[in-house]
Amino acid sequence: MPLIERHPILDFKHDGKVEFTFDGKAMEGFEGEPIAAALHSNGVKIYRETPEMKRPRGFFCAIGKCSSCFMVVDGVPNVRTCVTPLRRGMAVLTQRGRGSVSIAEGEARR
Amino acid sequence: MSWKKTADAVVVGGGMMGMATAYYLKKIGLKDVALVEKNTPASGSTGRCAASFRAQWGGALNITLGKACIDRFEHLAEHLGVDMDIQLYQNGYLLVAYTERQFEQFKKNVELQNSMGVTSKLLNHSEALEICPGIEVSDAVGFSYYKRDGHADPMITNFAYCEAARGIGVRIEKFTGVVGFKVDCDSVRGVVTDRGPIDTDTVVNAAGPWAGRVGALAGLNIPVKGERHELMVTEPVDWGVCPTMLMSFEPDYYMFQRPHGSILAGCGPSRYRREAGPFDDYQMGASWNFMEHMAGHVNKLIPRARGVRIVRQWSGMYDITPDLQPVIGESDELKGFWVNVSGARGFMFGPVAGEMVAEKIVNGHTSLPIDEFHWRRYAEGRFLVEPSVA
Repeated sequence: MPLIERHPILDFKHDGKVEFTFDGKAMEGFEGEPIAAALHSNGVKIYRETPEMKRPRGFFCAIGKCSSCFMVVDGVPNVRTCVTPLRRGMAVLTQRGRGSVSIAEGEARR
Repeated sequence: MSWKKTADAVVVGGGMMGMATAYYLKKIGLKDVALVEKNTPASGSTGRCAASFRAQWGGALNITLGKACIDRFEHLAEHLGVDMDIQLYQNGYLLVAYTERQFEQFKKNVELQNSMGVTSKLLNHSEALEICPGIEVSDAVGFSYYKRDGHADPMITNFAYCEAARGIGVRIEKFTGVVGFKVDCDSVRGVVTDRGPIDTDTVVNAAGPWAGRVGALAGLNIPVKGERHELMVTEPVDWGVCPTMLMSFEPDYYMFQRPHGSILAGCGPSRYRREAGPFDDYQMGASWNFMEHMAGHVNKLIPRARGVRIVRQWSGMYDITPDLQPVIGESDELKGFWVNVSGARGFMFGPVAGEMVAEKIVNGHTSLPIDEFHWRRYAEGRFLVEPSVA
């Protein structure tokens, strides 16, 4: 899958490479590019599963409006990965359903 | 549409209180009941409220009414004969006491509630955490809990009464504002609206926060004013984050998760309102100060909700009376002019308060003792004491 070089709205550069994980798998992306863009260049197309019909959802509006790219990032569900910049060491998970906020995650973020 | 110029009774206000009053007036026996609403049903306070109900009060009459309303909410669609789901959810109110004094009051309340058939109980920390896992209440002294308290959808519930009322022949006049009253000596003779007059001997003012203004049009001084309270709601997340209504009177807050997954939270204005300004300007604005204050409370009490986005905030008017208690009854000065104002609990008391007022008007007596709520108590210097309000 190609790297997303230019975005009509968002401005980001491809400077330093950083590691992050997707569903536990190690991946590489550029720091500061949208998480979804990093996933795209790693060949990941499915970002979440809808709550009722269990349908796959991926990149759609790419400007943080449509809810299609909601994922669980560092324990927080419903993160708009198409506009959230990638940081080193992020743990990105496919979101299933509405997204759970576990007690343990709450404790970890206090 | 044709305009009918007479009615046996006219109800002013299409919220829960008014809609229920109109429904029961017709149901109990009046032939020709009209309801006038300046906007649309549920457009005032009901549609903006948190739509929760409880029997955990401190005063006997409030407990009686609260319990009667829970009995009704549990079978409302059947009771009204409508095919609507009011999205009832009952998993109790978990009331939090932060001081010994508050907890002493909880003990008295629970004792009184138990004696009246409300099986509420006092809880310690581990019992509270069992009901609402993951909350941070280590600074609390104790809790009280009643499982049948709960919440529903305010619009659907209001519309259920609207459908039922329409179904049995109540005339519901939307976009109809009251501009005056016809008065003959000491009796009311009719309502004048911006769409025309309706002659009637019986008027029920159920205009909630606007009831004082409506009363003034008849020359009456009804001690009700509006006070803006704000709420906010998060995006939906998986069920179980706050499965009970978590509520405290001091500091005052409430928060709960609706079955759909959204977390709803709100509080009174005194805590966050920093700038000088009226709460009673009847403007439904939303303030940053509230958002900041309330988000702080939610993050503290439900640590795992941190990072969950707020999708909306709004406000509504509470109908505030001098003792924060309902104002119900016929005017002593103007015969036929009734007031049915809940004291900021129209959603929860509406179904029964409406029936009681209708019983009183049609039959002259009520099955539950509501006379205590008559507002002549203020002129006599009596205030009702209810410890379980914020």
